[in-house]
Amino acid sequence: MSDGVLAARPVIYNDAVVKKFVIATMFWGIVAFLVGVYIAAELAWPSLNLGLSFTNFGRLRPVHTSAAIFAFGGSALLGTSMYVVQRTCRARLFGGDALADFVFWGYQFFIVMAALSYVMGFSQSKEYAEPEWHIDIWLTIVWVAYLLVFLGTIMKRTEPHIYVANWFYLAFIVTIAMLHIVNNAALPISLYSAKSYSAYSGVQDALVQWWYGHNAVGFFLTAGFLGMMYYFIPKAAGRPVYSYRLSIVHFWTLIFLYIWAGPHHLHWTALPDWTQTLGMAFSIMLWMPSWGGMINGIMTLSGAWDKLRTDPGLRFSVTAVGFYGMSTFEGPVMSVREVNALSHYTDWTIGHVHSGALGWVAFITFGAMYYLVPVLWGRKALYSTRLASWHYWISTLGIVLYIVSMWVAGIMEGLMWRAYDKFGFLQYSFVESVVAVHPFFVIRMLGGVFFLLGGLIMVYNLIRTVTSPTTELPRQGLAAPALAANLGVAGA
Amino acid sequence: MEDNLSDIVVGLMMAVFGLIGLFLVAGAADAEMYVFGLALSAFAVCFDFGLIRRYYDRQDVARAAVREHTHV
Amino acid sequence: MFIRHEFFEKNAILLLIGTLLTVAVGGIVEIVPLFTIETTVEHVEGMRPYSPLELRGRDIYVREGCYLCHSQQIRTLRDEVERYGHYSIAAESMYDHPFQWGSKRIGPDLARVGGKYSNDWHYAHLENAQEVVPESLMPHYAFLAETPIDPSDIADRMRTLRTLGVPYTDEQIADAKADLATQADPNADSAKLLARYPKANVVPGDGHRVTEMDALVAYLQMLGTLVNFADTNTERLQQ
Repeated sequence: MSDGVLAARPVIYNDAVVKKFVIATMFWGIVAFLVGVYIAAELAWPSLNLGLSFTNFGRLRPVHTSAAIFAFGGSALLGTSMYVVQRTCRARLFGGDALADFVFWGYQFFIVMAALSYVMGFSQSKEYAEPEWHIDIWLTIVWVAYLLVFLGTIMKRTEPHIYVANWFYLAFIVTIAMLHIVNNAALPISLYSAKSYSAYSGVQDALVQWWYGHNAVGFFLTAGFLGMMYYFIPKAAGRPVYSYRLSIVHFWTLIFLYIWAGPHHLHWTALPDWTQTLGMAFSIMLWMPSWGGMINGIMTLSGAWDKLRTDPGLRFSVTAVGFYGMSTFEGPVMSVREVNALSHYTDWTIGHVHSGALGWVAFITFGAMYYLVPVLWGRKALYSTRLASWHYWISTLGIVLYIVSMWVAGIMEGLMWRAYDKFGFLQYSFVESVVAVHPFFVIRMLGGVFFLLGGLIMVYNLIRTVTSPTTELPRQGLAAPALAANLGVAGA
Repeated sequence: MEDNLSDIVVGLMMAVFGLIGLFLVAGAADAEMYVFGLALSAFAVCFDFGLIRRYYDRQDVARAAVREHTHV
Repeated sequence: MFIRHEFFEKNAILLLIGTLLTVAVGGIVEIVPLFTIETTVEHVEGMRPYSPLELRGRDIYVREGCYLCHSQQIRTLRDEVERYGHYSIAAESMYDHPFQWGSKRIGPDLARVGGKYSNDWHYAHLENAQEVVPESLMPHYAFLAETPIDPSDIADRMRTLRTLGVPYTDEQIADAKADLATQADPNADSAKLLARYPKANVVPGDGHRVTEMDALVAYLQMLGTLVNFADTNTERLQQ
């Protein structure tokens, strides 16, 4: 390195752990999409369940959701948060390399153990919190270590201010800790048995679960990824965040309002009316801060819109924010009791979840990955922007097929279940609705296949980016100050 | 300095988890706990070996740097 | 306001505490009253803890992820009440650790499936759903009939639930193994079992061992049968 760089005493960042998380994100993404396609096919052609306990839909579905949310989304969040916090605080990760490595390997261990336990027939049956008590304790330990690394790095920062992306990451970390501990309170039948019973029962258990479940969406899949948005979009666009005030207002209102929205999963049930009404009211209010975040993300591009044509990673990020805006409008609509009477229990909900998970979570992650891989591995550019473009269009087509087929299937189910004939009897038996949605289940699976295909194209492109001689930096390129700042780490 | 302290704390913690894993295997009432215990202790052993390997890698790098310095 | 926000932006611990307080409010306001307001769970006749065989059946229902395709919660909507029966009330799941209300109906609601079909229908349907309902999407659960129930930890399970508030008596726990076997044996004297667990459904079994299939059918056959809605009315449910 040149003397000029040495004189500035650059902080040597721990990027080794970030690289590991990037690889894990790619790997688990493909696993999650693959299992998703398989269980979608099981719903279209039930003989694919194979009659084996561990290939049945009931055991594989949590494998898909955990792989998508915790393995793919979680690795992306942990990895990017460690990248972002070091750069925005100008400090190496707190706690040394061993602690950071413990967070990485401990988290991967959690994922593998959880998936294994589902197929072996152990589940708490709480959606998105299926792992049994012993795995929950393990995750708690890893999570505390993660909080220590993240908060410790902020504490030893050499920048006066804590950057906005870090507020969101921090809110994600502490809120998930709170939700995880409260929702997973359970008593095992013995110290050496994996089987446990939830500490709560019936209606209380239902609300605790959906308070958790909705905020797994709110804090894992939203706040954390907003942190990602607040770093990678301004970085890729080369523009500052659109409005600092908006980011303050939308941060505090988002985290305050989100936590109330859980009861909208329990409309018209045995949950008391007052709780349902509160949940609905806050869900509608939530629309505002959600769109505040969307506006802040998209408007950051003002003056740099042309980059959408040349930077496929940025295109992913911006489209993600668009999908975020769409799902956070659809969500409040579905939380209205009268709409929910139709939509609940149907595939509309599944479509809504996937417009968020594929359109927002996966796309913003892809955007971050296309940005990170060349930087982390010291490459001058992506191997192929054409391939990234293909990935973009194939995945978008996949999402459109997925959510449109689920809208049609869901609304059809809702209408068929409540249809009356002219004599005042229910018009359809349940199984008639099952037959009616079959074509849409096939289309949904095709949408998943497209999305998986896009993911494979990305993995190929990123592997070539790291290995291909065409993306190597020219040797004298190292002297350029901008590159040196990015690479200060890559050598370590 | 920070790395050495971190190695010791995390290494000891993992050793404890590895032991807990062995206890779980010994007492396991079901297949899941048995598999989990075994995996936990295997994970702990691998992780601690990794820590030891990286400690010596760092020493090698430091020694090489010193040697280079004295030659120049 | 924006000047004072520096407060949080320059102090990580304050930011952490501020965030934690902000996110704690909603949960406290919504969840805590459910434990303290008396009318949240109705007082109705007929609710009882699960019999040992039903409990094991329920554990299998949880383990296999049945809740992912079947809800157990009939909403207060006309078509649901006509299709499935009286809407579900909170009291009916008061002993459910965890609840099994579900969130998606790939198959029909099961809150009141108990007694709707014969035991034989359930055995055949679990074995191979498409033989009974050709259009069904349900996986086959024939392997449950091959797996015997291990009764050794049934008392542990009931004791754990008692710690969590399910009112199992000492006698029920002491006789759990016997009750479990009795409910899967039509030739046994079930008087004691039925005295302890009214309306329990004795399943045919295969005569020499109790399988997971027996347990699951026993559980399915009691779902939604405990509360006699002819005896109660809306005003009493609202209290």
